[in-house]
Amino acid sequence: MKLLIVDDSNVVRSRIARIVQRGALGPVTFVGLARNGQEALRAARQSPPDLVTMDLTMPGMDGLACIPELLALHPQASILVISALTDKSTAIKALRLGARGFLPKPFDDDALQLALLSLTARKA
Amino acid sequence: MAALKESDLRLFVDSVTRYFQVTSRTPPQIAAAYLGTDSVPMHDLNGIVSFSGRFSGQVTVSLPAIAVRELLLMQRETDLSESNLLDAVGEIANTLAGNARQTLGNGLEISVPMTMRGRSGRPARVRQHPYVITFRWNTHPGLVCVDLDRVA
Repeated sequence: MKLLIVDDSNVVRSRIARIVQRGALGPVTFVGLARNGQEALRAARQSPPDLVTMDLTMPGMDGLACIPELLALHPQASILVISALTDKSTAIKALRLGARGFLPKPFDDDALQLALLSLTARKA
Repeated sequence: MAALKESDLRLFVDSVTRYFQVTSRTPPQIAAAYLGTDSVPMHDLNGIVSFSGRFSGQVTVSLPAIAVRELLLMQRETDLSESNLLDAVGEIANTLAGNARQTLGNGLEISVPMTMRGRSGRPARVRQHPYVITFRWNTHPGLVCVDLDRVA
């Protein structure tokens, strides 16, 4: 499983990586830890991800701008949006752009594990 | 500028409670929630998110470094450098600001967080009396200062 983590917070990127490594996804290769949409696209061009966690509010290219561009590059990628923007219209927008799931911040370890497992189970 | 009511701003009490409950399994004890005056006692590390769109202002999360260190250790983070502590407090501010959209709507635009070390240099105000929430988390004091109004 190739995972790309996209969040402007180093603390959040690091936490997601730790939770994933302890969890039930099986062997995971991190193809990138990106701080914004541009870095995410650069990483994805070098190594196509199977799974992406995507923040929305980021400097430069934000998550809603990145989702369609990333899916244009790699339509098979499953994108889980992880965002503090918990209004319904934002979640709907992200899903309409092609994200496969939405996990609101703050999240605990179990919620993240379940959200990622649900995306990977859907793909299988 | 149309003032938001204190009842509108109480959503931040729920947000800060939820943040610590979910990320550390240790809820904060809310000490007070009040409309502040000029002097708001800040702590070492400050995360600030600005609002725009149909609203104006900012939310500031202020915590002592020791509290942020303990929060990161609970999350099994090993990088306890100052830049990571500031990142963490910025992320708390980002979460509270973003969650506010659930109540205030998507007309509330939020910035990426800014972080600041030190107790001085508060940003310019939009409200005469910002909403201040003081709390204790894991025995440490913290505060959230909400300076937010609706743009007429």
